[in-house]
Amino acid sequence: MKEEQNWLLTEIDALLTQVTSYEEKALYLSLKKLVNEQYNRLEQLEGQLDGTLWSPKEWGEN
Amino acid sequence: MKTLIILSHPDVAGSTTQQFLMAATQTLENVTLHHLEKHYPTGKIDRVYEQALLAEHDRIIFQFPLYWYSSPSLLKEWQDVVLDEKKITDWQGKEFGIVVIAGVAKKEYQAGGREIFTMDELMRPYQAIANKFKWQYLPIFGIYQFAYMTETCKQKLLIRYQQYLMLGNSQTLAERTAWFQNQLISISLSKEASLHDKIDLIKEQLQTNQEELEMLRFTLDELE
Repeated sequence: MKEEQNWLLTEIDALLTQVTSYEEKALYLSLKKLVNEQYNRLEQLEGQLDGTLWSPKEWGEN
Repeated sequence: MKTLIILSHPDVAGSTTQQFLMAATQTLENVTLHHLEKHYPTGKIDRVYEQALLAEHDRIIFQFPLYWYSSPSLLKEWQDVVLDEKKITDWQGKEFGIVVIAGVAKKEYQAGGREIFTMDELMRPYQAIANKFKWQYLPIFGIYQFAYMTETCKQKLLIRYQQYLMLGNSQTLAERTAWFQNQLISISLSKEASLHDKIDLIKEQLQTNQEELEMLRFTLDELE
């Protein structure tokens, strides 16, 4: 997941080097923030899922 | 959703903040910028025209610099001339927001700060109007000490402002992601093919991430 996130951020950085307007630059910079937010949320939800699946509460029932 | 910005500022040309905000609206779809002082240089407001403008938009934004804890006088005149209690039923269900520009730091607008009152408190009469007309009151979009902002802050502000105008209160991660995707589509249309493909790839990855997030949430809900 980290590799994918880095790839995506690098791609946006590449676009940033070719921007033609102030507004476009602002958009890409905020987009990087959104991308980080997406991956943070993914990490949190995956952690939550792991935690739920490995909960000792569930083990007793088997 | 069509957004109407009712801007009141007696000297727009001399305001770097307003110039910045006006530039940010130029490329936006479904956003109408209506500058009162430009439209009515003599100060006489056309009630019929303004009421029609109001009726055809779904989100109404008052945008102004803070003058003595209120708006410049023409916006008050606009309220006196245009707002009509008989129109409550016709106009209900709109969203209403305020973009207010202050020269004083945000931290001063709180109990114990130099201005004592919060911006929410100072804007209460507008909230009362929204309530009267059954408009959903959006959180205030305050811009404080624009002149002292770093370039990075200004760039972030530009995008937050555009999202406020276009999304209103719909600002979940999914909604903001969809907003960025739409903006990327319009940017890529103006680019040559190689850049077009790059932008498309980014857009697709955002979509994949969003779908993965939804799937994880669905799975977690099922397990609970």
